[in-house]
Amino acid sequence: MGVLRQWWTRLVETFRPSPDQGDLQAEFAAHLEMETAENLRRGMDPAAARQAALRTAGGLTQAAEAVHDQRGIPWLEAVIADLRFALRSLRRAPAFTLTVVLTLGLGIGANTAIFSAVRGALLKPLPHRDGDRLLYLRQSRDGPGGANLSFSVPEVQEIREGAPLLSQIAQHSSWTVTWRDRDVTERVDVALVTSNWFDVMGLGVIAGRTMTTTDDGPGVPVVAVLTHAAWKRRFGADTAIIGKRLQVDGQAATVIGVLEPAPFFPGQADALFNMVASPHHLSASMLNDRAHRMTELVARLADSATVAAARRQVSDVYAQAQRGFPVAYPTESHYRVAVLPFRSVMGERAGLTLGLLMAAAAFVLVIAVANVTNLTLMRGVRREHELAVRASLGAGVARLRRLLIVENLLLVLAGAALGAVVAVGGTRMLAEFVARSSPRAAEIRLDATTFAFALGLALLVALVLSFAARLPREGRVASWILAGGHRASGNRGRSRTQRTLVVVQVAVSVVLLAGAGLLTQTMMRLSAVSSGLRTEEVLSVTVPLLTTPQLLAGPAPDIAAKIRYEEMRRAIAAVPGVGEVGLGSPGPLRSSTLRFDVKAEGIADVPGMSRPKAELRTASPEFFRAAGIPMVAGRPFAATDRRGTAPVVIINAALAQRLFGDSDPVGRSIAWAGDLLRFTPFSGEWRQVVGVVGNTQDGGLDAAQALVVYHPFNQVLAISGTFVVRADSGVAQLAPAVTHVVRRYAPDAPIEAVTTIAQLRDQSVAPRRLNASLIASFGLLAALIAAVGIGGVLAFSVSARTVEIGIRMSLGADAGRVRRMILAEGVRLMGAGVVIGLTATWFAAGLIRELLWGVAPRDPLTLGIVAVAMTGVGLAACWIPAARAARVNPVMTLRNG
Amino acid sequence: MSPKRDIQPGTLALMILKTLDVLGPLHGYGIARRIEETSRNQLSLNYGTLYPALLRLEQEGCIKAEWGPSENNRRAKFYGLTSAGRKQLAREARDWHRTTDLIAAFLTPRREA
Repeated sequence: MGVLRQWWTRLVETFRPSPDQGDLQAEFAAHLEMETAENLRRGMDPAAARQAALRTAGGLTQAAEAVHDQRGIPWLEAVIADLRFALRSLRRAPAFTLTVVLTLGLGIGANTAIFSAVRGALLKPLPHRDGDRLLYLRQSRDGPGGANLSFSVPEVQEIREGAPLLSQIAQHSSWTVTWRDRDVTERVDVALVTSNWFDVMGLGVIAGRTMTTTDDGPGVPVVAVLTHAAWKRRFGADTAIIGKRLQVDGQAATVIGVLEPAPFFPGQADALFNMVASPHHLSASMLNDRAHRMTELVARLADSATVAAARRQVSDVYAQAQRGFPVAYPTESHYRVAVLPFRSVMGERAGLTLGLLMAAAAFVLVIAVANVTNLTLMRGVRREHELAVRASLGAGVARLRRLLIVENLLLVLAGAALGAVVAVGGTRMLAEFVARSSPRAAEIRLDATTFAFALGLALLVALVLSFAARLPREGRVASWILAGGHRASGNRGRSRTQRTLVVVQVAVSVVLLAGAGLLTQTMMRLSAVSSGLRTEEVLSVTVPLLTTPQLLAGPAPDIAAKIRYEEMRRAIAAVPGVGEVGLGSPGPLRSSTLRFDVKAEGIADVPGMSRPKAELRTASPEFFRAAGIPMVAGRPFAATDRRGTAPVVIINAALAQRLFGDSDPVGRSIAWAGDLLRFTPFSGEWRQVVGVVGNTQDGGLDAAQALVVYHPFNQVLAISGTFVVRADSGVAQLAPAVTHVVRRYAPDAPIEAVTTIAQLRDQSVAPRRLNASLIASFGLLAALIAAVGIGGVLAFSVSARTVEIGIRMSLGADAGRVRRMILAEGVRLMGAGVVIGLTATWFAAGLIRELLWGVAPRDPLTLGIVAVAMTGVGLAACWIPAARAARVNPVMTLRNG
Repeated sequence: MSPKRDIQPGTLALMILKTLDVLGPLHGYGIARRIEETSRNQLSLNYGTLYPALLRLEQEGCIKAEWGPSENNRRAKFYGLTSAGRKQLAREARDWHRTTDLIAAFLTPRREA
């Protein structure tokens, strides 16, 4: 305890203003005097008495120093002295300090924020038990809608039996139910799972129980496990919900548990139900038909098995199935199955963007550090004299180095502190951004690890900075002092370092600007794409009147619902201010999940070519006018096109071109075809084409042009119904009135997606815009830093060459010539940087191909603009030092030099 | 004059504490004097040894310093034992005895039974 107390007191003493030295001196004096008096008493003569007393005392100065050392903590005092010194010298150079702190703060902050996003969304281990053994299986084929087909039950069985390296396989089917909770009815995304899903996923419940095998199969009660987020959002995290009943699709489901928090994939879900919740999922067609694919597979890798081995096993099973059922897997569509680690498939969509951002941020940091190094080098030169004086007063090289390190640490830590602030805001923004593409966005947060990352980064930067500065070798201080008397103009080694750093900065900026340019081009081209319909003053409101089981039950509920839809449509049309109201499904700018093969009468199939796949959509007679989709040929639907009358369709221009080429499609007949039709209420009868409408970009502005067949809304089953409301002005203000009308006619129906078409269209561009603006801001930041860098180096070069310029001018060079000379120096550096940057871009551009749309990765226009812009900015930065050089007064410089 | 011995490390604090225990509050000179006398002038204390040791004991809370008048009416700094110091003294004295006994036992030639 005594020791602790001693050190504590010493620590306190260290920070106290140094204590009264007089006190100790007085104590020593008293001691001496008493001893002298004693010696006198013993009979010595006065001089000898004092001499003897002094002899016993030993060195008084050393004693005072020893007491001082015991009072405080000497090495800490030295550090504090260094810190004081560093603070003083930084305060004397506020512009330098501010530039460095800002640059490093932005660099460190951006890197920390992006690191935290990458860690949360991609790197962190999954919260699932043994998450690294989790696999996701994906079946896909070429063509639209083929990216993820999911599996049919027979396929699942084959894999389950033929691939024992997958120890367990769980089925998961994304589903939508109409969920009634007290007075609110809404359609909710849920998942239907087999009871082993919990074991496979390695997830338990935080309350209640998981499903067991008794919950599988037909004829059992419907049970639900709420996901953690939905439990918090819908039920205020109240465990009393367990054992209560929910009303979904008109049936009761008992809540049996709450899932532990974990990112949900695939899709989103508020609750997990057992398969019995959907009669369709236990129907014969679903269980027996190979082409009826509605099931996603998650599997757990058997102990001691590798992913590669499991992949081989699955592909063997799949190859066998393809041989056995050639009709189900047309070879030209390239059916395939991928076995993917769960963690990587979750990060699939976010990975590329995050990787790009990480690279951009790292580039910015490289530029920032290069710039700060340059500034430090230049400052080091200006300070050479000061350092030389310090060295001549006895500071060793180690001591000077320590001074530099303390100073740089101070700078960098200030930068890191600013960086932490930037990171806090940046991380929040990034988490929102990543939430669009990754289910793991909720795991993105700043924690001790990310701050440790920032601090580590800062310390690394400080080290680089401290050792970039030139100090003499030990023992050669003297010669250095002599050299320090001059302006350090002729040091080739250092100026080469500075020039290299500037070239690197410019090159890296060019790469970043090129990336930003390409993404901005992508965003602009996308914004310019026509959606094919009117986006201004059009509102869409989706009202699903029927639940999924009702839709599957046959035509009767649909016919009843159509009458109510028409009543609502008329009532909405009567709202003051409303122009035209159409009905359709799905709504405009929403892609249809119904996509079948289509054939045309009198046109033979081409062998080896698959039939075109078209989207099935429905539309009322007013739909095209309301949505602003132009009729290209023929007529719109009429009120007489309904159940019981001759089946008719309208096709879009792309399908007309594909099926009939240049000949007139109106009056010809087409029909749905293919395997999938069996599982749907849509028949394969011939239907006459009565019209052709313009193409629309319902799947998103960047989607491939879809082929579309429109049915009359009242002639076939419509999955939900969307009102398309057009007004002359202020349509957004009509939303409450429209909602009110719907409520009156359908008090319990969910009302979804009350949004203007312009908003829907914007959603298609927004992620690209965000990409572009993030990278563009990095690019601009980099260019700015590089400009400061190049300007700074030139300014330094000018001040170092003042004498030379003076001589040149006195020999007849005019101001313009001097300016050109300095500018030429800048242009050489810029040119080298731009050329290197463009070359690097040429090789690296392919990496971001997937993020681009409508622009080639090596788009010459973009690269050209970037080169010109960078050169322009750089020249502007060079102008200031060049102008200063031109103002050099030869007489003054020569006299002083 | 025989050459004076340096103080063994760690023992000075014990000597100071014991001195103050026996004589009560004392100034630096008095402490040095007493230690030299007790050691029959084998030890000599220069300021650079004595005063850091006093400061250290003060920092540990074993002693307390106060300015006061000396015998010949000069101002001097007097060091007095605190209760923590008394405890420390008892503890260190005990430890010291134990150590010396142990060392003595090792150094005494053992008589075989």
